[in-house]
Amino acid sequence: MPTDTTHMSSLKELQELVHEKFGIEASVLDAHASMREKGFDSLALVEFLFVIEDRFGISMSDEDSNIDTLAQLSAVVDRLIAAKAA
Amino acid sequence: MNAVAVTGLGVVSPHGDDPQAMFAALLRSESALRPVFPELPKPAAAALAAFDESRWFTKLQLPGVDRVSQLAVAAADLALRDAGATGDVDPQRIGVFAGCGMGGAAALEAAYRSGGRVPPLTIPAFMPNAPAAQVAMRHGVQGLVLTYSVACASSAAAIAEAAKAVQRGDVDLAIAGGSEALIVPGVLLAWQAMQTLAGFKPGEEATAIRPFASDRSGFALGEGAAFLILESAQRARRRGARTYGLLSGWGLSCDATHLTKPDAAGQARALRAALRQADLQPRDVGYCNAHGTATRIGDVVEHDALAEVWGDGLDGLRVSSTKALHGHLLGAGGALEAVITLLALQQRQLPPNAHTDTIDPACQLNLVRDDATSAPGLEAAISNSFAFGGTNAVLLFSRG
Repeated sequence: MPTDTTHMSSLKELQELVHEKFGIEASVLDAHASMREKGFDSLALVEFLFVIEDRFGISMSDEDSNIDTLAQLSAVVDRLIAAKAA
Repeated sequence: MNAVAVTGLGVVSPHGDDPQAMFAALLRSESALRPVFPELPKPAAAALAAFDESRWFTKLQLPGVDRVSQLAVAAADLALRDAGATGDVDPQRIGVFAGCGMGGAAALEAAYRSGGRVPPLTIPAFMPNAPAAQVAMRHGVQGLVLTYSVACASSAAAIAEAAKAVQRGDVDLAIAGGSEALIVPGVLLAWQAMQTLAGFKPGEEATAIRPFASDRSGFALGEGAAFLILESAQRARRRGARTYGLLSGWGLSCDATHLTKPDAAGQARALRAALRQADLQPRDVGYCNAHGTATRIGDVVEHDALAEVWGDGLDGLRVSSTKALHGHLLGAGGALEAVITLLALQQRQLPPNAHTDTIDPACQLNLVRDDATSAPGLEAAISNSFAFGGTNAVLLFSRG
């Protein structure tokens, strides 16, 4: 499991976003749980990616649409933030 | 022919989401019109529906669901609950017949205002058949799920089509009505540009709509949703359902003369068709919930159509346009006014034609006054919806 600090901070922010946008507590949606199984359908995911783009100033349009956990999402966000900073 | 019964009513209206309380407010002539969007160059008024979407949706269910669909889901759900245990209906034998004039106006407005960052779900949120689809998904309806977009006649046409489907035996249960939610600045500006909205002085919004009055100057927009549960009277009896009334006749016609100017002959054709189907004479109908948009031309043409069909008996028909109080709900108007008409029949009380002190001699009708709302002998009533585009829809209800 990745442990770098950038990753951890983006995961926490994503959990806060999920709470803010969808009213789901971090304790309910484990970072490694399937978001689809927790009720995110493809439309909710699309909406969430859009919000993430706004929040982090990144573009996720070319990213893997099979992302299914917050941990996976967080890894992608971290990579894109790092790429932007580079 | 199989009689079609109305066994459930659901509304999310400018007068709340309890049909009986809404009707009581209308009997008291309570106007729901309020000033909106003070930032616009010209003063604007509208009738908004108080609505708490969290009663029907989790936040996770809301992406891509415009207000117009939220209102539809709520009103349809309330109607189904009101109809009680509807029995074991095959999901493929339930239908949703939904009227909607514009679709998700707020979603489109948000897209226009996004500065290029257009929300990805704008299209599914905006599409005019989204309300019907959302209602179908909510209740697992797998039969006919259809949307009727016929401007101001949308939901009246939807109800008529639903009744046909029930009568033909295409469906056992129909969820029929409509929704509209277009009170956003862009749409309001467009209606102002069309010169059909009432003018008013600040502070006089509540009484700005004066149907059939000499000093009328147009309507105000309203938002909301209304649905009826239709089933055969036989089926309703079998399951011991409470029945609000029968949908005994409906008439659909098209003026085919002008896109926005109504035509008395076309409206009269729809009125006659509804009477013919119900096998009633004009004198049998005691109340008309008029289209009554309070435009200079619309009210005169509606008077002329009623006069053409009712003839010497016109005075025996009591008339009111409740748009004075709830505004013009466009695609949801026919359904909301159908609910009002059914409650008038059930209670034998007529909602007044509010705010009209002096009747225009060119639309001399027996308007319901607020001090004489009782209608003891009422057996049948009609609701008129006449659309831009020339389509006319008349629904005729009777006490079963």
